[in-house]
Amino acid sequence: MDRLNRAAAAVAGALAWLLPAGRRDWGAAIWAEAHEMPPGLARLAWRAGGAWVMAREALMPRRLGRAALFAAAAGAAAFAAWPQPGVGHAAVSQFHVIATVLLLAGLPLLARRFFGPASPSRAGRSLRVLCCAAILAYLPALYIVEAFANLTPVQAAYRRIVCPFQGCGGAPGKSTGGPPWAGEIAFLLMTIAYLGVILFLTSRRSRVTRSTLAIGTGTGLLFGVVMYAVAPLGLTNDATDPWLPGSTADPLVALAWILLFGGPAAAAALAAWRGRDPAGTALPRNVRIGQGIAAGVLANGTAALFVSALGTSTTALMLKSARLLHWFNHGHQLTAFAAYRYEASAAGGTTVYLFMLIWFPVIGLIMSALGAACTPPGRPASGN
Amino acid sequence: MTSSPGFSAQTLSVLAALCAEPSQWQHGYALAKQTGLKSGTLYPILIRLADRGLVEACWQDEPQPGRPRRHLYRLTAAGLASATAALAGAARPKAAKAPRTRAVRGAVAGVVPWTG
Repeated sequence: MDRLNRAAAAVAGALAWLLPAGRRDWGAAIWAEAHEMPPGLARLAWRAGGAWVMAREALMPRRLGRAALFAAAAGAAAFAAWPQPGVGHAAVSQFHVIATVLLLAGLPLLARRFFGPASPSRAGRSLRVLCCAAILAYLPALYIVEAFANLTPVQAAYRRIVCPFQGCGGAPGKSTGGPPWAGEIAFLLMTIAYLGVILFLTSRRSRVTRSTLAIGTGTGLLFGVVMYAVAPLGLTNDATDPWLPGSTADPLVALAWILLFGGPAAAAALAAWRGRDPAGTALPRNVRIGQGIAAGVLANGTAALFVSALGTSTTALMLKSARLLHWFNHGHQLTAFAAYRYEASAAGGTTVYLFMLIWFPVIGLIMSALGAACTPPGRPASGN
Repeated sequence: MTSSPGFSAQTLSVLAALCAEPSQWQHGYALAKQTGLKSGTLYPILIRLADRGLVEACWQDEPQPGRPRRHLYRLTAAGLASATAALAGAARPKAAKAPRTRAVRGAVAGVVPWTG
């Protein structure tokens, strides 16, 4: 125990050195109080707690840390998504990277101005981080997948197979790159919609309660994980569900259908049922329905974002890694052509995620409105 | 969910403990015992309250022999007003329910006389 106490003292000494000048007194104060604790585990626990406080304070100011973390992540994503020389639609791809990073950096500031600060809810903060991480992860993944999907194969035999389906606009060995300007603008509008809705729902001014945020995010993550297990590489016949034979009888597929429609309805019903103000009194019916709809939209929106970012990233990784390609096709002998066909199929199959991004929240909106409208207020709860 | 606008249940328990004897300086250990909070929770609350000007802190003048000087805390005038208002706000709607923490229960009974 003495050794542990000495180790804790050493850690605290190092952390105290890192503390800003205005915080060093607090480090010393926590340490001084440890002498009042009974020797043994209680004193060690006090010191461990003190070391934790000092570590948190040493990492202040958090905003600076968060900004640095965002800058590093955004820089890495932009670097990975920057179009290679020779890829078509390079200007569109460059615009996509720059505009997405600017949106991620600027929209939270605008949201703070118009919607107020972020909700103190942990689920709300996590959702904002998840949304930002998903959009950043989407940047390079989408670029890699689109570059591959629009690649004109070098081999004539491959071109004869691939080009009738996907069209080959470029010279052999070259990619036409991402979408044209109209597609790019549509994608950016969708990004703005997702960011805007999530920033609004997780802001204080929206008055979405902590429980609603937790219910919506939790349901969405559950649905997202199930959906990813069903469609880790899009929904084409070749790429879907590599571990289980894809069929409507597949229990995961059935669960995904249930969660698609039932998840937002259940989340909305639960959020509406728990809809109470901080004083514990039931909210008016229209406000409870609003909470329910927020939970349902969050559920399906979170799931769509989660599965799209993860699925597209998985596909992009597979296109870059032969080992992952063979892992996904365990038990099969892949010829070069079969591998190419599989990759092309997976790259083309990721377009289904765009449909999920558009339609999942719409389904969530409809189902949650139904779920919330049919739910009576619950009994007074211990917390909200 | 916070129990009162701007204050969590744990912060309210610290305010309640400080409110019990507002003119007296209190040690961190005593506050931890009264509130049941661990050092990792108690001190961030004290730091935030001090940053907001609701709590003032000073070092003990004459430490016990062989012991380091201790840090002392008490509510400022603004802190006392905020704490009383927040505790009253927390107590009023929850009067029919069990308070969340020992210190809030103490506050409801002792600091806010009309609920005791």
